[in-house]
Amino acid sequence: MTKAGSERVANVLEGATRRLQMLAKEGEGRIASVAKGFEGLAGHTNKILDLTSAIVESLESDRLRSVFPKVQALGASARLFFEERLKATTTILGAVEVEAKLLRQFSAVTRRQAGIALKTSVLTMFTNIEVGRLGEDGSGFQHLAQTLTEFSKTLTDDTEELARHIEARKPTLEATRRALSAELPSLQQELARLDVHLGDDMEALQEGLTRLSEAPMQFRMCVDDIAQQVAQVVSAIQSHDITRQQMEHVEEAFTLIASKMRDGRGKKPGKDASLAYGGLKIQMYQLQNIQATVTAWTSQIRSCIDIILSVSASDVAGISPLVLQREQEVSSRLLHIEQLEREGEGYSERIRKTVGGRSTLIALVSEHTEKSKLVRHHLHLLSLNSIIEASRLGRQADAVFEIASSISDISVEWGNVTEQSETAMKEILRLMEKTSETMQVFAEGGDERLNEAQVQTRAGLRELKTVAAFAAQQAEEIESVTAKMRAMTSDVVNNGSLLDASYSKVDGVLSAVGELKVQMETADPELERGISAHEMESLFASSYTTQMERDVMHAALHGMPLPVAEQLGAGNSVELF
Amino acid sequence: MKRILAVDDSSSVRQMVTFTLRNAGYEVAEAVDGKDGLAKAGGGKFDFIITDLNMPQMDGIQMIAAVRKLPGYGFVPILMLTTESQAEKKDAGRKAGATGWIVKPFNAAQLIAVAQKLIR
Repeated sequence: MTKAGSERVANVLEGATRRLQMLAKEGEGRIASVAKGFEGLAGHTNKILDLTSAIVESLESDRLRSVFPKVQALGASARLFFEERLKATTTILGAVEVEAKLLRQFSAVTRRQAGIALKTSVLTMFTNIEVGRLGEDGSGFQHLAQTLTEFSKTLTDDTEELARHIEARKPTLEATRRALSAELPSLQQELARLDVHLGDDMEALQEGLTRLSEAPMQFRMCVDDIAQQVAQVVSAIQSHDITRQQMEHVEEAFTLIASKMRDGRGKKPGKDASLAYGGLKIQMYQLQNIQATVTAWTSQIRSCIDIILSVSASDVAGISPLVLQREQEVSSRLLHIEQLEREGEGYSERIRKTVGGRSTLIALVSEHTEKSKLVRHHLHLLSLNSIIEASRLGRQADAVFEIASSISDISVEWGNVTEQSETAMKEILRLMEKTSETMQVFAEGGDERLNEAQVQTRAGLRELKTVAAFAAQQAEEIESVTAKMRAMTSDVVNNGSLLDASYSKVDGVLSAVGELKVQMETADPELERGISAHEMESLFASSYTTQMERDVMHAALHGMPLPVAEQLGAGNSVELF
Repeated sequence: MKRILAVDDSSSVRQMVTFTLRNAGYEVAEAVDGKDGLAKAGGGKFDFIITDLNMPQMDGIQMIAAVRKLPGYGFVPILMLTTESQAEKKDAGRKAGATGWIVKPFNAAQLIAVAQKLIR
């Protein structure tokens, strides 16, 4: 190489060195801004994680954990409450219908008893006439007549009282029967609807509370994810130091080559040219490697920051609205259950009123039936006594015989009516027993399980509400920190872009050095042959501080592809001595 | 609070060491090269030192050797944080009195774990 050629090479390399020095200085400033921005961003991320952690901690409290089982218990109790009422209402309607039928039978019985009582009154009158006609001889029959008079009066009174009660009861019973018959299908539909709603409520609640219970796990995963991203950014920012050193070594190499070219001044033209050519080749590889490395770590910083920022929009940052939403959902479901319960209670009240008035009547019918049995017994005795008295009176007693025979007929008729009344009574008592069992469902305090479940759920909801309020307060802060993070992110990303722009200036250096290399190749196509790999390594490798630089030099000298920095991980481990 | 000294001529590396260890609850002081590091170590007690190897004015190995001679620094853990991975450099560091070696970039979680293990 000529003296002028050597001078030209030295000039180009000195120019490239200056450009690289400026670039390094600019890059240093940019990376410091990126690092500062990242520190602020990471600080805000930590703040968000702290706030979210406080929410998660309150979510993980034992008391809150028990909300779900409480709500589940409430759902089961409410469902049972409505199912029992639906079943009982159907049973009671059946009982009311049978009771109405029995009362109609009782009406017929009392009508017949009233007829018998009338006959007994008429008979009493005839007996008294006969007693008067017989005079002294009829004194024995007189006692019979007196008994019959008293008995007739009692019988009439009792029968009238029962008839009055039955008549009074009939319209109420009939109205309820009609109402229930008409309403039961819609009542059944309504209760079935309530049951479906309850099922939907429980399903929605379970889903909501399950999502809420997954929040701590999501949070922990999120924390791990952020820690990983932060570690990768820390690692990427440090990589700048490696690039910086690599660039300094390129600058040193350019200076060394320039110095050798100037010092040689054409004394050993072939050797100088080979040295310069080999050196340029190595440094171009190093610069290309620097570009690839910078691209890798700036891109890593961007993607990590994007991931960190996405935390602000994630389910974890959105945990507080989630808690609030679930609390509102659970509260509205509870209100719905209470509303359903009140609707159910409305039906219960109507049924209680209908069935409640029955017991007085049943007692009266029962008492009347017992009295009827007694009447039958008295009538039987009267019939016997009248026959005995008629026999004693002999031929004068034709009329008395007639009366005795009538009393006997009345006794038989009364006996039949009493049997009918007793059968109906037994049926009523059986029904009464059945409906009494059914009515337990509607009894006061029959829904204790539901009430207890409601109390427990309300207590659980109070906890949830406290957590929700706390979460809302934290959420406000999270929102404010997130806004700061977003503003900061754009700064970091801008600085990252400026950093990229700084390192794109390496292209200019590469272009100048590449042009020089082509000129040298054109001037001497045999330059490549003159390169001594060993000599090159001993000349440049002594300043290298990274394995990558050594690998790049090796690739350049042996015509191998450019080694590219692998995707950066979270950094290297410590080796303790 | 335990005190750590981070020595590196690269401001971004110092920033990252400080950021990582401060977040882990340590008080971190910075020095820009070996000479500055030695001065700061002499000026106050540190429980842990992390130093680069290649630095202007005084390199990491020279600094470690000098720090070991300071009163109270005989057993203070000193980690070398460097781009160097050559065995002979590592050996020189060990001979100078380094406790361990990390090739840049360091793993933040690992660095914290080691600091927690070495600082008693």
